[in-house]
Amino acid sequence: MSWTPGDEMLVVQRASPPGAAGGTYRAFGETLRGLKTTMSRLVEGPKTISYPEEKVPVYPRFRGRHRLHRFEDTGLEKCVGCSLCAAACPADCIRVVAAENTPENRVSAGERYAAVYEINLARCIFCGYCEVACPFDAITMGHDYEMSAYNRTDLIFTKEMLLDEPLERTPLRGEGE
Amino acid sequence: MPRPAPDTIAFTVDGLEVNAPAGMMLADAAKLGDVEIPVFCYEPKLGEPVGACRMCLVEIEGIPKLQTACSTPVRDGMAVNTQTARVKEAQEAVLEFLLINHPLDCPVCDKGGECPLQDITYGWGPGRSRFIEPKRHFVKPLALSPLIAIDRERCILCYRCVRFSQEISEDYQLVLQERGADSYVSTFDGHPYVAPFSGNIIELCPVGALTSQPYRFRARPWDIEGSGSVCLGCPGQCNVEYTVRDERVLRVLSRQHDGVDDGWLCDRGRFGYQSFHVDERVTHPLVRVDGELIPVAWDRALDEAAAALGGAGSDSGALAGGKTTNEEGWLLQELFRGALGSPNVDSRADGMLPRELHAALHAPALQATVPDLEFAHAVLVLDCEPVDDQPSLDLRIRKGVRRNGVKLAVASSRPSSLDANAAAVVRYAPGAGEAFCAALNGALGESDAGPGSATRKGVVEELAEAAGADADAVRALAAVLADAGEDVVIVYGERLTHGARGEDAARALLNVCGRVAEAGHDGAGLLEVPAGTNGRGLREVGVLPNAAPGLAPVSPVGLASAELGASAAAGAISALYLLHVDPLRDLPGRATWRAALQRADHVIAHADFLSEGLWEYATIVFPAESYAEKEGTITHPDGRVQRLRPAIARPDAVRAEWNVIADLSKRLGHDVSVLSGAMASARVFEAIPFYAGLTLDELGGRGLRWPARPAAAGWPAADTGPFGLETPPHAPTPNGALRLGTFRSIWAAQEVEVAPALKFLRQRQRAELHPVDAERMGLAHGDRVTVGSNGSRVQATVVLRSGVPEGSVFLEAGIAEESASELDGGGLVEVSPQ
Ligand code: SF4
Ligand code: SF4
Ligand code: SF4
Ligand code: SF4
Ligand code: FES
Repeated sequence: MSWTPGDEMLVVQRASPPGAAGGTYRAFGETLRGLKTTMSRLVEGPKTISYPEEKVPVYPRFRGRHRLHRFEDTGLEKCVGCSLCAAACPADCIRVVAAENTPENRVSAGERYAAVYEINLARCIFCGYCEVACPFDAITMGHDYEMSAYNRTDLIFTKEMLLDEPLERTPLRGEGE
Repeated sequence: MPRPAPDTIAFTVDGLEVNAPAGMMLADAAKLGDVEIPVFCYEPKLGEPVGACRMCLVEIEGIPKLQTACSTPVRDGMAVNTQTARVKEAQEAVLEFLLINHPLDCPVCDKGGECPLQDITYGWGPGRSRFIEPKRHFVKPLALSPLIAIDRERCILCYRCVRFSQEISEDYQLVLQERGADSYVSTFDGHPYVAPFSGNIIELCPVGALTSQPYRFRARPWDIEGSGSVCLGCPGQCNVEYTVRDERVLRVLSRQHDGVDDGWLCDRGRFGYQSFHVDERVTHPLVRVDGELIPVAWDRALDEAAAALGGAGSDSGALAGGKTTNEEGWLLQELFRGALGSPNVDSRADGMLPRELHAALHAPALQATVPDLEFAHAVLVLDCEPVDDQPSLDLRIRKGVRRNGVKLAVASSRPSSLDANAAAVVRYAPGAGEAFCAALNGALGESDAGPGSATRKGVVEELAEAAGADADAVRALAAVLADAGEDVVIVYGERLTHGARGEDAARALLNVCGRVAEAGHDGAGLLEVPAGTNGRGLREVGVLPNAAPGLAPVSPVGLASAELGASAAAGAISALYLLHVDPLRDLPGRATWRAALQRADHVIAHADFLSEGLWEYATIVFPAESYAEKEGTITHPDGRVQRLRPAIARPDAVRAEWNVIADLSKRLGHDVSVLSGAMASARVFEAIPFYAGLTLDELGGRGLRWPARPAAAGWPAADTGPFGLETPPHAPTPNGALRLGTFRSIWAAQEVEVAPALKFLRQRQRAELHPVDAERMGLAHGDRVTVGSNGSRVQATVVLRSGVPEGSVFLEAGIAEESASELDGGGLVEVSPQ
């Protein structure tokens, strides 16, 4: 089967090669032009952020690691263990096992509470759907992004971890910053 | 009552021409044209529609007002619109109205995600509420019973639960109290709603008003998977769907099968699943070392079992309990007949029936089906109590009587819960089923041939007296059966054919059947209530001392269970193999069995719980699968072969039982080459001529009735009567003592004792007495008594029941403590106050 290029053939148009003078300019002139930028930045001083000692502040709507919340007045958990976040989660990384509140053990304001609440942050894609789904504003996307771990299972955050204040607050970018 | 065969009519729904059976309700008929009409109160299972919720309003051309689709039957040429502005407005109005008092509970409500109210509001609702006034409030949740929580705020007053209680289970407990917005569902005086079928209202409730206490908050619909199988709790073999989360069964729902369960479950089947996951369960092989059962590795347990069985050879015997599948039963008899050369295998509790009688009683030509009960002209319930022995039948019989005018006749010793629905009732002395059948046969003969016929005068009186029954009542019952029509179904308990005279009783029964039901006539015949779940299947796969698989003849004939017990007690049996059975609990003659278990050198058991007999005497225990873990097939009393499918993984070291038995067989030099569950099924279908050609695929999710397949021709031919019979023995005369009758209540089961939710129903021994007898003995309701005979005795609490025939006392068998099987002796007992 022979192939005739026909219409499918592309003809590449090249510029004509530079002469000797043109070649020399390209080698030195362009290099010097680049160096000019380097030199001008040099006088500005270093811009490196020495993470983790220093952190970049995040925007208020940054979607970092989740937080679970309590009512400020009663201290009860806002989460009622309804599993709506788990239903909304596209990565299927939330696991909720609910249980019933009793007069002796009242955990949340509703009839039920989350006995187990786990988010597998190794799977989470930080889409924030869980926050949107929650009817009680019990879960919100926090600002923390420091979640590296040596072990995958350490990335499964339990209810206690999600309820607790983070060890260190992530700096927030102020208005207009 | 012949089954209705309606004509097909044509009507239009939303401009679409649809064919539907005449008389079908519009709500159902519209579905045939893929048009969905929202409903709340309509549920065909509940019988006549009530039109309580108005959700289903549609416009019918020619009728000025909107009509309820759930209670309007389709007619030829009807034109229905479900999409017009008027209908839309009505739907939105009804929903807005329903939601006025409905709390915003979805996130905490157990129904959320599978809630018809949510779905219909989403699909047909106005989307916005105008209601800002306060809603009605009730205390919530309340315990309607230990099994059911009721949240009255969520109730939309659809009447489904009340209709179930009033018209389906007929326990008449649930009512709607108060009027208008104050209405609420409760029992009449607020006592807990405890009834054998109460759990069904959870599934019926279209909102989260009735929720299951054990399932409360356990999972959401998106957390779970449904897995279909069959309940092994009783011979009803209801089709169920297990709700599984994280390898645990969390709930059991009905998987409606009109040929089997009609979409209802009893509470034992619905809540018994908790027993799969309790700590008491045996999950490792156990071997008795120095008097203690200790967990060991499989290899050791199997080796020891093989050595014990190999050593015993033909001095061994096996019993299979009702929860054994066809595959396990077949492998068990292979192990015993093939590997050990021992013919002693049995699955019946008491006594041996000749092969021909098994063949006659279950002949395809005489076999009635479960749906036949609903459309029969008359049904005779004989020597069984459906609600205890096979609960789903109870609802089926009630349905037939209520909806199709089936004439019901009840003949039993113990008063039956169906008495109130019966056109004729006969009480006879406990154990006198044979004499009763003979008397009934005589009475039917009289009316057959007219007065002065060949039947000698006074025969019925004599036989009725032998049965301890009233001759006039027997005649009245005969008249009900004879006058009803040709479709007569006899539902009889296996216990009728138990005992030494079981053979004669079976012949007497066949005589009666021959008089009222024509062989080969569809819709008439016999329906057995076996004592064990898979009683029928086990007999068909050859777990009988006198029949091989397919009811083929065997020689030599082995020992039946009672003889096996006696023989073991005498020291002639070295190894006993107990597959899902604890003789001390499940079989009569406790004293003999205790001696037998003690005397046998090896007692090898498959069990999921260590009940008394196994705890004390088993030497090797293999962990048994729960029925949500099993695969295999079982056979329904009407011949439907159904398939079990595993829903969850087996816990810990539990192994498939077919695998264990096949492994033992192999170790003993009889390789049955069964390497998978499916292979075991295939071998069973091969081995049994009347199952020939069945495949698991063919069984599918709904099972298949083998008597309706061509292969049924492989069923052994047998003489179905009429038989000439000797005069049955006279029931013992009480003469100061009382006749002992036993029964096994629906709650007498291991599941009930171990499942946390059901524990409150655990049975304690009670002595049911007639008030006159009680007065004579100076006893009152609630007194503690000792019931004794021949030196054996049990403790019981007196319960007075006016329906109990005078001169009889009824005790419960199959319970953990003080079981009636403790009493031996000739059917007479002494009752004395403690
Ligand atoms: S942010 Fe998205 S992926 Fe992560 S838990 Fe929430 S819903 Fe799931
Ligand atoms: S976090 Fe919110 S959505 Fe998730 S279970 Fe709790 S209450 Fe429900
Ligand atoms: S019954 Fe249905 S609509 Fe009502 S609170 Fe429960 S889930 Fe929501
Ligand atoms: S409790 Fe449920 S089933 Fe009963 S009337 Fe109310 S909504 Fe209907
Ligand atoms: S479904 Fe028709 S009135 Fe309720």
